[in-house]
This record gives sequence, C-alpha cells and structure tokens, in this order.
Amino acid sequence: MTAQPAAIGVRIATQPTDVAETEGVAVTTAPSKKAAIEVRNLSAYYGAKRAVANVSLDAPQRSITAIIGPSGSGKTTVLRALNRMLEVVPGARIEGSVRFHDVDIYDPQIDPAAVRRTIGMVFQQPNPFPTMSIFENVAAAARFNGIARTKAEAAELVERSLRSAALWDEVKDSLGKSGASLSGGQQQRLCIARALAVSPEVILMDEPCSALDPIATLQIEELARELRQRYAIVIVTHNMQQAARVSDETIFMSMNEDRAGYVVETGATAQIFTNPVNKITEDYITGRFG
Amino acid sequence: MSVDSRLLRPTAPGRRAVDRTIFGLCILAGILALAPLGAVIYFLIVDGLSAWSPAFLVELPGPITTPGGGALHAIIGTLMMTGLSLVIATPMGLAVAILIVEERTSRIAPLVRTAVDLLAGVPSIVVGIFVYTLVVLSTRHFSGFAGSVALAIIMLPIIARTSEEMLKIIPRSLREGTMALGMARWRALTFVFIPTIASGILTGIALAVSRAIGETAPLLFTALGSNFVQTDFSEPMNALPLYIFQNAINIGFPAAKQRAWAAALTLVVIVLLFNLIGRWLASRATVRGARS
Amino acid sequence: MTVLPTTLRPDEPERLVRRRGLSIGDPILAWLVRILSLAALIAVVIMLVQTAVDAGTLFRHENIVEFLTGLRWEPSNLIYGALPFIYGTLMTSIIALVFAVPLSIGVALLIMEYLPHRLSGPVAVAVDLLAAVPSIVYGFWGILYLVPAARPIEQAIASSPLGVIPIFSGPAPGPSYFVAGLVLTIMILPIITAVTREAIAATPRLQREGAMALGATHWEQIRHVILPFARGGIFAGIILGLSRAIGETIAVLFVIGNAPHLAASIFAPGYTLPSVIAAEFREANQPFHIEALIALGVVLFVLSFGVNVMARIVVGRFERRAGGADVR
Repeated sequence: MTAQPAAIGVRIATQPTDVAETEGVAVTTAPSKKAAIEVRNLSAYYGAKRAVANVSLDAPQRSITAIIGPSGSGKTTVLRALNRMLEVVPGARIEGSVRFHDVDIYDPQIDPAAVRRTIGMVFQQPNPFPTMSIFENVAAAARFNGIARTKAEAAELVERSLRSAALWDEVKDSLGKSGASLSGGQQQRLCIARALAVSPEVILMDEPCSALDPIATLQIEELARELRQRYAIVIVTHNMQQAARVSDETIFMSMNEDRAGYVVETGATAQIFTNPVNKITEDYITGRFG
Repeated sequence: MSVDSRLLRPTAPGRRAVDRTIFGLCILAGILALAPLGAVIYFLIVDGLSAWSPAFLVELPGPITTPGGGALHAIIGTLMMTGLSLVIATPMGLAVAILIVEERTSRIAPLVRTAVDLLAGVPSIVVGIFVYTLVVLSTRHFSGFAGSVALAIIMLPIIARTSEEMLKIIPRSLREGTMALGMARWRALTFVFIPTIASGILTGIALAVSRAIGETAPLLFTALGSNFVQTDFSEPMNALPLYIFQNAINIGFPAAKQRAWAAALTLVVIVLLFNLIGRWLASRATVRGARS
Repeated sequence: MTVLPTTLRPDEPERLVRRRGLSIGDPILAWLVRILSLAALIAVVIMLVQTAVDAGTLFRHENIVEFLTGLRWEPSNLIYGALPFIYGTLMTSIIALVFAVPLSIGVALLIMEYLPHRLSGPVAVAVDLLAAVPSIVYGFWGILYLVPAARPIEQAIASSPLGVIPIFSGPAPGPSYFVAGLVLTIMILPIITAVTREAIAATPRLQREGAMALGATHWEQIRHVILPFARGGIFAGIILGLSRAIGETIAVLFVIGNAPHLAASIFAPGYTLPSVIAAEFREANQPFHIEALIALGVVLFVLSFGVNVMARIVVGRFERRAGGADVR
C-alpha cells in the first residue's frame, strides 16, 4: 500500500496540530475533492436502542475505504445505512445525513431502489439466485433496470461484468448452469459481477471474504484492488490484515459505554496501522483487545 | 437545497407502474376473497337474527309448513353425538400419536401412520358410506351411535396429528431430565410430557370439535335424523347440520326457510366459538422450555 | 410438583438393563396404546374392505367398464353410469382452481408483502375463517343468494359473442357447474392461501436482500426471488385445494342443479360424485341403486386418494428443496 494522499486529501498526521478533535474523534480537515459518500453525524437506532452514535466519515472516489473494529461496533449497521438497506430491518431508523455527491439519499423524494442501483452491495454470504443460471443472474438486474434491452446487449453486458469480476474465463463455457453450482469464491465473484452489471458508482462490501477460503479471499482482494480504479469501495472487515493489505483509508470503530458504535479514528491506512493517534486504536491494532 | 436525483437513477415510470398495478391487483384479490365471508356473515345476521328467538333453542318443530318451532332435538343430538365421538376419538388419537412418536420402531407404527393419513384425506361423504357399511348394515339400524362413529373418524386424524406434533416438540432437555431421574417412560409420559403439552392437545380437540360439529354429509345416512328428542344412541338422532339440511331442501316453505336460517346462525356461532377457543389455546400452547 | 419415586432401587442392578421390546415401562399403558392404535387400524381396513365388497356387488349387474364410462344414470331403468359425476367433479374442481389459485396468491402476497403488520394479522384470520364456515351454510346461502346473483352474469356471457364457444353457451338457468365452482373457490381459498403464505415466509432473507440491493422494485423482488422460491409450495397448495374441492358434498349439492348428465357448458346444471351420493342415498330403493351409489363412493375415494398421494410427493419434494420447511 502506498502512502500517497488519497483523493480526499488526507494528510498523514505527523503534525498533531493538523488534526482537529471533535468529541474524541480524530478527523482530518480540508478535503480537496468531494468524496463519493459523505456521512455526517449518523446515529442509527434499532427501536429504542442506539446502535451507532454520531458517526462521520467520507468515502472517496476511486479508493478503497475499510471500516474495521471489534464485533458489535456497528460497522455493518453503518455500511447498510449507506445504501438504505438498513431500513429494511423492522424498527431501524437513522438520524444525521448521508450524502452522495451532495444529494441526501434519505430525502423523501428519493426512491430507495434508485439509491441501491447507484450504491451497490456485496454480502457476507454469497447469494446468487439459485433459480437462475449464471447468465441470468448477471443479466437480470441490468435487464429490468433498462440497461440491456436486447439479447445481444445482455450477452455483451454479461461478458463485460464477468470479466470485470475476474470470473469470465472460468464460467464462459457454462453460463447456463445454475448460479448455485459454483464454489464459494466463484459465487462471490458472481455476486460482484451482478452488482457491477447495474453500473453503480459505489460498491459496499460487507465482510465479503468471511465465508471464503484463503485462496478465494486473496482473489477477492485482488479484484477489489482492480475495481478501485473505477469505483469507490467501502469494505467492512473484521480482518485487520485484510484492511491493511487492501485499503487506502481506514476507519476504526469501537463500542462506547452505552454499547453504541462510534468512530475512534480515521485516516490513511498506512498511518493508522503504523502510527495511530488514539490509544484505543493502538490497542486494537496490536491485538490487546477485540 | 433542491435534490438532484438524476445522480441517483430513478425508477423508470414503466417499472413503477407495474409495481403499483400488482399492488392494486393484490388488494383486489383481498377484497374478492373476503367479500363472501362478509356476505355470509351479513345474511346470517340479517336473516338469521330475524328468525331467531330464545325459544328456538328449546322448542321442537311442527310440520314443515308450520311457522315457528325450534331445534331442541337437533341441539341435544349434536351435543350427544359430538360428546360420544370425542370419547371415542380422543383416546384413540392420543394413542396413535404416542405410538408414532414414542414407539417408532414398532412394526405397526408405520401402518397406523398410513391408516390415519389415509383417513385424513377421505371425503366426508365417503366416511358416511364407510360407517354405513360398518355399523348401520351390521346393526340393521340407523343410529346416533353410527353418527358418532362417523364424527369420530373425522376427528381422529386432527387430534392424532396435533398430538403428534406436540409430542415431537417436547424439548430434548426435558426428556433427558426425566431420564436422568431414572423415571420410567410411561411415568414421564403421563405425569410430565402430556401435562406439558396439554394445551396443545386441547387445541387439537377444539379444532376437531369445531370441524365435526359442522359436518352434515357423514350424518346423512348414519344418524339419519329425527323429528323428536332422542336420547337413545341406538336410535336415529338429529343434529344441527342435519336440521338445517332438512329445512333447507324445503326452502319453498317460508317457515322452513326461517328455521334453516335460525339454525344456521346458531351453528355458525357454535363453530366459531370452538374455532376461536382453539386459536386462543394454540397461541398459549408453547411448551415450557421449548422455543415457541 | 413433588418428586416422583423412581422405579429403581439401588440393590436391584438387573433393573438397570433395559428390557427389550417394551420400551414404555409399564405394560398396561403400552398395551393400551397398542390396542387402541390397532383398533383404529383394523377399523380402517374393515371399512375399506366392506365398502369395496358392497360396491362390488354392483358388478353382478353391469361390468366395471360400463359403469365407469356410462353416460346415463337412470335408476328407474336400472342404468348406472358414473361418467356424468366424474366429469362434474373434475369440471367444478377445475373451475374452482382457475379462480382460487390467482386469488390465493394475490391474498398471500397481500398479507405477507404489502399490508402493514396491524392489518395483515386480522386479514389472515379472516381468510382462515372462510374455512371454518360449515359447508351446509355455504350451500344454503349459495342457493338463496349466490345463484340468483350469478344467473344474470351467466346469461350475459352466454348471450354475448363468447357464447358461441360451447363451454360458455347457454341456456343458463342458474344452478350450474360454474356456481358450484364459485362456491368451491370460496372453500378452497383458505388452504391454498395458508400454504402459499408459508412458502413465501420460507424465502431466504439473504436472497431477498440480494435483489433489493440491486435496486429491484417490490414487484421485481416478488417475481424474481419470492415466487420462484415459493413455486413448490404453491403447487402443493394447489393439490391440497384440489383434494378439498373433489370431496365437497353439501355446498355443491345445493347449487349445481342436480342434473345427471354430461353438459359441455359450464353454465349448465350438472352433478358431482359426492352430491349425487348425498342426494339419492336415503331414498335409493331400486335394485342395485345403493350398490351403485357405494360404487360411486369408491370411485370418489380412489380419486381423492390419488390426489392425496400426489400431494404427499409434491410436498416431500418441496420440503427437501426448501430445506425442511413444513408445508402442512
């Protein structure tokens, strides 16, 4: 991982005076380019219980942002809030703002389905549609989004998406087989291809490798690095080494006394892992807890 | 600040229209499905209440054309036959369930299982035929007893199935607890398991009763029906559904029509009562210690 | 609860050995259970055999093929043909399925997918209550209100251009296969809806969220994820509904018109296996009349049994595919 400043203009915090502290959260100021997703003061509730408290973060374009932290620190909750998949859980709601290129995605005029087409998601458990073939899996969403109308367009889209997901060579001769007939790693790449076929701008990944073997994990990580050239990626992972390998930015979350998640520290991955500012971050990185 | 939603590709109007149309169709389906219930209940109340009076429950009917009259004999018959059929069906249903669940290795268990499953699928008119050949022909008599046997056959699979499912969800921890105490199986069964699932079994019984009370076909040529109060099981007996049937096939006569409505209202009230009791019991029937 | 005494005493080690063959300890209860179960089993067997034998006596009078394919039913002339009733049973059941299946799927989707929680519970109970109404009440209500309401509709269709097609042709006196089919629709709707609801509920959450995350609209989620998953369950529901429709006696009896013939039009009066048995049994005094009716009962039983076996197979396949979700 290079130590280049990412698009958001995070400066490696070698000078403590550069860093503004708000409520114990270390945030860098003055971004030079707008992030794809900006989250400000996000709190999430499941019924009366507050699960996430006052989270602010940025997900830059053409960059991989990792959210790490111990279990229960609200990482997945925050991720799901980014593409309005959180509200699917009964009783879940948010406060605060989530903006995609200056558009508040929670604005009542906006259709959640539209948000999800622009901000796609890959889940922890690969979930290809078992009643559809590999071809149909990738084509389906795009077809009914009006992206590929004719058979020829669909075939072209499927090939493009499968190539982008580094799966084409393995399945090009068996596109008619069921989506569920692939190995775990292949299924996950199929899900990524399916998400890519919808032409999102952001890809959210919720612990995409936790159900996969080490080799498949490495393949997915490599794929993520390739995808980063075109998409903004936000990846939740409980695997610190993965975050260190793959991401440009890292956001470290933990639980406060009320068992709500909050952001402890954010910054360039290299800096977080070699020279964290916050003591809690350092404890986590060095394995003293979590 | 105005929202520029071009950035977030909105759903094409065609797709949204389809989505809304389907929603509308489903609402339509709901209305069409519930309309008959509403209609039946409405007419039951309107026609039934106007024909009903407390006297209905304690009088006997006169000749078909005479207005007024009641269903005392039918109500007594229903109570007696349903009672007897419960006495027949409950021990048998429990026994069958115990056999299937607790003595899986017994040679007759799969046979009994098949027989009960078979019974569950038999149309009620065929049950009537079965009991006709089994009881009526051999005793050369239509009787309330034959009617009770027919109702018992209808109740048996319901009670057996419910009891079987309840026995199956007795948690392992409870079973092992009794074993660890060195309790003999039959003791555990009688003093621990069955009391634990008692409300579940009662649910099955309530549902079976609610079903059997409303059945007409199995009684047509077993109990046959009668015009006066009958307390002797060896003689033909009347029952509410039969009573409605007798009057309903004579709707040409307004008096009969009235009586049929009054009886229908009475029957539906009783059936709904048992149905709701069964539901209420079912909602309470969580086995203590088991995940509901 | 007081502590129950165990049957074990420390100085009787042989009691520790489980006695083979009598796994319920006490003989009395074990034998009680066995006797009662055997009684049930034997009763079933005797009933089946006795009925078959009684029906069989018909075949001294005419042979089985004549019976099953006979188009005429004239007891006064000792002519007993089963075909009109088999036809009527199938016809009314098919009409019922044609109406009930789409309605049930719509209602199931309404309850599971569209209605807010507060409404879906009562609606579900209301649909289930449709099944609790005794069939005599449906029959009685049917002849008084449904037939007169349906008559103008039947006549309108029969006299419209559609009436050229034999199946929709007139005359339409009122009681008919069609009205019987309508009543059956009401009666089988609850079971198909209940099974479909379970199938919808069994759709894995992960799949639904996958479709959602791709930006699918609600209907697209239903169409591409839920309904394909629920297919097996829906099919099982159809078979269960069919089984119920085949056996329904009293409600059909009142609204079908009791005409023992084969008619092409659904608006013509007809007859079904269960309803003719119910209507004629008590006054059957011609030679072989009762035996013929019992034989019709056997035909009905075989038909119903066949459908139930099919249901068992389909449900078994659905359970295996859905990973053990209980469809009953």
